[in-house]
Amino acid sequence: MEYFYTDGTTNYGPFTLEQLREKNITAATKIWYAGLSGWTPANEIQELAGILSSSPPPVNPPPPPQPAPTAEVNFMLNRPPKTWLVESILVTLFCCLPFGIAGIIYASRVESKFYAGDHPGAQQASNEAGKWTKIGFWIGLIVLVLYFLGIMFFAFTDGGNFEKFTPNY
Amino acid sequence: MPLLTEVILKSLLQTIRVPVVALILLALALLYYSLDPAKYSFFPKCPFYWLTGYKCPGCGSQRVVHHLLNLDLKGAFDANPLLFIAIPYIIGGFLFDYTRLGNRIPRVRKFLYGRTAIIIVFIIVISFWIVRNL
Repeated sequence: MEYFYTDGTTNYGPFTLEQLREKNITAATKIWYAGLSGWTPANEIQELAGILSSSPPPVNPPPPPQPAPTAEVNFMLNRPPKTWLVESILVTLFCCLPFGIAGIIYASRVESKFYAGDHPGAQQASNEAGKWTKIGFWIGLIVLVLYFLGIMFFAFTDGGNFEKFTPNY
Repeated sequence: MPLLTEVILKSLLQTIRVPVVALILLALALLYYSLDPAKYSFFPKCPFYWLTGYKCPGCGSQRVVHHLLNLDLKGAFDANPLLFIAIPYIIGGFLFDYTRLGNRIPRVRKFLYGRTAIIIVFIIVISFWIVRNL
């Protein structure tokens, strides 16, 4: 699990639980991790009960509430969601040209939508790109395995006649 | 409420997926290491080549794997130059995606794997497709 915390103006993280222990987290420090819908005070998160620092909270008034982060860590790191570009290239070259090309096209959409500020659109394009590369990967692997199993079955039921598979050079 | 058997089956599939895929890839690597797909007729043929008589951008990838596993760089390049040249780029892409490298140097990531780079990759794949059939 990777945690982020905020002092109201700057976000810090990601940290592991162990790293977070050294950050002087108080009961009021706002914490977020993938799965939380928004910044949450540390004392409302059960796993953090053991690491809360006993130092008094700052005298400054609590900062104004931050806009709730989306469920995607990448947005906080100012980084587009996964584009699946290299996976798409591999699918294009090794297996299923149409799926790979679809993956590459969605990959470029991930980037352009992200930098246009359309974060949900970028996430959606990322999911589509992932979908096509995964379909390509699984189809390629399953077809290849079935193909070789079929070849083996054919060879063995043919009374071990491997002659037709001898080198054809 | 899903059936208990369904839950068990799903978690079983989740647990065995990675080792099963790893084993299959290992077996395939062994096969492609020991046999040259150019010399044995039983390796699968490219459906696009079979249908049209033209090579697709991926044609030769089985031979590339064979030659690479046998450390024959020249043979690998000759079988499919695009795939051969793309290998460092693909390894770099995996490093940026699956390690913290992409967060550490986001500008380099954006330059090498951003929108402009994706469009260039797309154009290279299509051009290679045309040029290798001329």
